[in-house]
Amino acid sequence: MSGIEELRRRVETLQIDYVQCIDDGELERWPEMFADPCFYHIVARDNFEAGRPIGVMRYESVAMLRDQVTATRHAAMFAPRTIRHILGGTRIVGEADREISAHTNVAIYQTDADGETLLMMTAQYRDLIVEAGADELRFREKRVVYDTLLLPDSVVYPL
Amino acid sequence: MEGAGPNSNDRAWPEQGSARIPYWVYQDPEVYALEQERIFSGPTWNYVGLEAEIPNPGDYRRTFIGERSVIAVRGADGAVNVLENRCAHRGSRICQDLAGNAGSALMCPYHQWTYDFEGRLTGVPFRSGVKGKGGMADDFRLEDNGLARLSCEVLNGVVFASFDASAPSLADYLGPEMVRYFTRVFDGRALRVLGIQRQRIDSNWKIQMENLKDPYHAGLLHMFLVSFGLFRLDQESFMVMDETRGHSCVLSKRSEAGEREGTEDVTRFAADYRLEDARLLEPATEFDDDITLSIQTIFPSIIIQAQLNTLATRHVIPKGPGAHELVWTFFGYDDDDAERNTLRLRQSNLMGPAGYVTLDDAEALEISQIGVDGASPDAAAVLDLGGRDVEPTDHLVTEAMVRGFYELYRDLMGYA
Repeated sequence: MSGIEELRRRVETLQIDYVQCIDDGELERWPEMFADPCFYHIVARDNFEAGRPIGVMRYESVAMLRDQVTATRHAAMFAPRTIRHILGGTRIVGEADREISAHTNVAIYQTDADGETLLMMTAQYRDLIVEAGADELRFREKRVVYDTLLLPDSVVYPL
Repeated sequence: MEGAGPNSNDRAWPEQGSARIPYWVYQDPEVYALEQERIFSGPTWNYVGLEAEIPNPGDYRRTFIGERSVIAVRGADGAVNVLENRCAHRGSRICQDLAGNAGSALMCPYHQWTYDFEGRLTGVPFRSGVKGKGGMADDFRLEDNGLARLSCEVLNGVVFASFDASAPSLADYLGPEMVRYFTRVFDGRALRVLGIQRQRIDSNWKIQMENLKDPYHAGLLHMFLVSFGLFRLDQESFMVMDETRGHSCVLSKRSEAGEREGTEDVTRFAADYRLEDARLLEPATEFDDDITLSIQTIFPSIIIQAQLNTLATRHVIPKGPGAHELVWTFFGYDDDDAERNTLRLRQSNLMGPAGYVTLDDAEALEISQIGVDGASPDAAAVLDLGGRDVEPTDHLVTEAMVRGFYELYRDLMGYA
C-alpha cells in the first residue's frame, strides 16, 4: 500500500471509530480522540467561508469537550433521540510538520422518540490529525462544516 | 393603540382576559393567516438585520417579515432600504441567496426586469418591441411597477421595517423605557457580526416569544443557569414593559455559583456542578452597571440577548401555526479587543442550537406544541403567576410579561 493510501486507511479508521463512538452512546470516549489543546468547531458553511468565528459548538481544550459530555448527560433537558453518522471516504489534503489534513463528507440522521428518522445535516469534516504515539492518531482540530444552514432541530450530541 | 376592529375568525377570548391563552391561537390556520395580515403586515416594526451585515453599496440580506420575503439593501448613497423581494412582473423571487452583493442594480433572473436600490423599476427588456413588433402596452409606465418599499428605520445599527405606512415612528412604537434598554446594548458603537445561526423549532412562533417573557422557567429548567448562579429567581432583578405591554425587558444581576438560598423549590440544581475548563464562564464586566443579564423582547418577533459577554439578536420567523425559524445573529463591537472577542466566542456556547442554556428552551417549546396540538382548541394556558395584571415588577416571579404580550396581540387581532 502506498504512503498516502496507508495514511488514508489510518485516518478512516479513526473517523469510523469517532462516529460510532458518538452514535453508539459512548460519549465519554469522544474527548479521548482529541489531542490537547484542541479545536472543535461545528460551524455553518456560510460563516466558515466568510471567516465568521461563531459555531454551534466551539471548544478549545479536551476539558471543554468533557464539560459538553457532562452537560449532555446531566444538565440538558431534551426529548430522547439517537443520531447516526454516514461517512463518505476521506481525502488526504496534505501532510506537513507531522500534521495530516483530511476532508471527509458526512451525513447525519436523527431518530426521534417516536422512531422517525430524518436528515439532520450534511457536512464535511475538515480535520487536522496528529500522531499520539504507538500507532494512535488523534484530532488536533476538527471542524464540522455543515451545509444545512437551516438546522431542522436542536443539536444535542457532538457531531 | 386603537383596536383593529372585529376579527374575521369569529373567536371569543376567555373571560379572564390575558391570564388565559386559548389553544386555538397556536393551532388554527385561520388565526395564523389573520396574524400575517394584522401583525406582520400591520402597524408593527420588524427586524431585518444589522447594518454591519451590509456595509457596501449593493450588499443585501434576505429575510422574512412574517411570510413575506424582504431584502435590506445598501443603496449607492449609503442609505439602507428594505424592499419586498418579489418582482412586479409575475411575482418571482428576485434575490435568491441569504446574503450577497447585487452589483449596481437588482435584476430578476426570469425576464431581467431591473430595479434600483430604492425599488424603482428602471429596465424592462424589449419594452419597445423588436423590429416594430410587440413591446409593452402603450400605457405601461415604469413608475407604476416598482418593488414594494417598506418603511425603514435604523436604530444604532439595527434595521427595522414595517409594511404599514401608518405605523408610529420606531421610537414611539418602542416607547422610552424600551428605547432606554435597547440603547444600553446598541449604544451607537459600530457592531461586528460574529456569526449567524439558523434553526427550525416545531412550535408556534408566539411560544418562542412567550418563553423570553417567562423568567419562571429560567430559574427552574436551566440547570446550567441555576447551578452557575447565572440566573435565579431570588437574585436582584426587575422587569419593565412599554405602555402597550407588548414589549418587555428582564434585567438581572448574577449571584454566586453554589449559593443555595432560593433554590429550595428547584429540583434541577446541582451545588457541586463545576466546569473542568472554567474559561467558559470567566466574564468581564460588559456594561456600565451591575446588570449581567438583559433579555429584551420587541413585539412581534425580536429578542435581544445580552448575557455576560454574549450578545445576540434572535429573530422569530413564523412557518405555519406549528413551526418557526429562529435566526441568531451574534455580534460584538468593532472596538472589542482580542480578549473580549475570545470571551464572546467562549460564552456563545451557552446559546444557539446546542446552547448550554438555550437547548433546553427549544426542547420545551416543542413539547409545548406537541401537547397543545392534542388539546381542544378551547382549552387554555393558565397564567396566574404574579396575579392576573400586567404591571411591571421588581421581582421576576411573575407571568405578567406573557399576559402583556397578549394584551397587544388581542388589540391588533381584534379579540376583545
